[in-house]
Amino acid sequence: METSVTKASKLRRLRGWRADFSLNKGLYFLAVPIFLYFLIFCYLPMFGLVISFENYKPQLGVLGSKWVGFKNFADFFGGPNFLTILRNTLVISFLGLIVGFPASILYALLLNEVGVKWFRKTVQTVHVLPYFVSMVVICGLIIEFCATNGVVTDGLVSLLGIPRENLLQNPKYFWWINLFSDLWQGLGYGAIFFVSAIASVSQELHEAAAIDGAGRIRRAWHITLPGIMPAIVTMFVLRCGMLMQVGGDKILLLYNPSIYETADVISTHVQRMGIEKMQYGYSSAVGLFNSVVGTILLIVSNSVSRKLTDTSIV
Amino acid sequence: MIEKNNAGRIVFNILNYGFMAIFAVLCIAPIWHVLMASISNPRMLMNASGILWKPMGKATFSGYELISKNKDILAGYGNTLIYVIWHVTAGTMCTTVAGYLVSRKNFKLQKPLLLFIMFTMMFSGGLIPTYMVIRSLGMINTRWVLMIPGMMNAFYIVMMKSAFDQLPESFEESAKLDGAGPLTILFRILVPLVKANIAVIIMFTIVIHWNAWYPASIYMPKVRDKWPLQLFMRELLIQNDSAKVLSGNQALSKADFTSNLVKYCVTVIGTLPILLVYPFVQKYFVKGVTLGGVKG
Repeated sequence: METSVTKASKLRRLRGWRADFSLNKGLYFLAVPIFLYFLIFCYLPMFGLVISFENYKPQLGVLGSKWVGFKNFADFFGGPNFLTILRNTLVISFLGLIVGFPASILYALLLNEVGVKWFRKTVQTVHVLPYFVSMVVICGLIIEFCATNGVVTDGLVSLLGIPRENLLQNPKYFWWINLFSDLWQGLGYGAIFFVSAIASVSQELHEAAAIDGAGRIRRAWHITLPGIMPAIVTMFVLRCGMLMQVGGDKILLLYNPSIYETADVISTHVQRMGIEKMQYGYSSAVGLFNSVVGTILLIVSNSVSRKLTDTSIV
Repeated sequence: MIEKNNAGRIVFNILNYGFMAIFAVLCIAPIWHVLMASISNPRMLMNASGILWKPMGKATFSGYELISKNKDILAGYGNTLIYVIWHVTAGTMCTTVAGYLVSRKNFKLQKPLLLFIMFTMMFSGGLIPTYMVIRSLGMINTRWVLMIPGMMNAFYIVMMKSAFDQLPESFEESAKLDGAGPLTILFRILVPLVKANIAVIIMFTIVIHWNAWYPASIYMPKVRDKWPLQLFMRELLIQNDSAKVLSGNQALSKADFTSNLVKYCVTVIGTLPILLVYPFVQKYFVKGVTLGGVKG
């Protein structure tokens, strides 16, 4: 296998483009639509990012609009909402990372301790179901349950003694509503990866440790956890690479002007300023800032992952 | 294996099984609540509070009867089916072809094309420039906007590439000697060998496009007859506006009561198909997640 691959690539390198074309004519024709698809829908928008540096007017076009340098970026960084939006983006991401991420590992470890097979299989299936409920329905339920007389509000009023109100109208609660609904929806699904990593941990190590008298918890700590460490690191690093990508679609469905102060994130800001207020130049600059930071995070986290575990995503 | 069944172990087991069971109830409860509300007496439903464990009043299917005649809901259902079927067939086919191309070792474009595709995983132009490109193509408020732009993505292509990479080259060589073209080789010989991977991609594609609302909300805000079901659901559930959906029905006078009911019925018909099918196709999702990189 190894030798045939290197032989093929050597032959390929020696061959000129013309010879390769006549040999692989069919492949070249198939490549054209694939190339065009990515060119139009992925690369053209990248070139379209030049409007971030323009006072873009649709009637003047990308080439005819006035060049304003970094004015759009300055408007964003100097704007009254910049710090709030950045804070919200980071807080919502980090909450997911420091609560949601360990929770799915812990859940996977606990599930592994469930010895009765039919019970384990059944609860695992049920726990994944919320992931397949559409975001519109999830948010519809959140709105219903967090309303003034909703079931979540009822529970919190009687348990914690908070004043009765619509929880989605009070900026104080948004991060927690978002975090716990994410946990509800994503815990089972997020754990699938770790559940299968745990299944591949050597059973012999477990048996040897059991004979030496190690209990379940000690074995989970000293055998299972180190065994799935590469999987944990890979996932953690991948999540770090996506810190700037807070899913805007959920927030768009949930938020309202009275909670912008905690709910507005970069992607919702871009959507509101761009699609609704049609400030194309400004919002594309904000998007560009987000993409650049996101790409840097992704590259850094990938090289960290490669160093630590020899696996990388991209 | 010999286990010590000491007291700590028993307590831990009770807590662990208890937690698993309670979380399972928590996962089901909201869905059950919607199901029960959808067959409740609409008048009594107005005063409902908490989670409904059984329908309020005598179970009735009047809500379902109403939406079975509603032209918006029916159109939405049909549109969603069209978009899902399109992406499952045309989208998956293109993804397969692209994955095949970037796995051909004996093809000079293989490396450049792979890099060209993989770069889009690292960097994207973002919402606004993409919107402008799509608008300048004249796709806004047409069906094409939900069909063409989301047809392929780099993650699935890379997934297909690694599936093809694992096949021995001899399969292809012998077919080539017989004079078969690339498409014949791909679909006759190679596709049957990677059909498990294709199934994984199809499953994710179905769920994503069945549940998608965001692209339609920005790219086709004005054409209700082309909306997928999720956009009607957003109108009913999020914007709490049932007047538009119900205005076609003669039942407008009763709308106050029925609108609440309709909301739940639409949620059920929009959610239940996926949830009912999931347990039977679970292994594909598990496989997809462990293959790595695929995120919904």
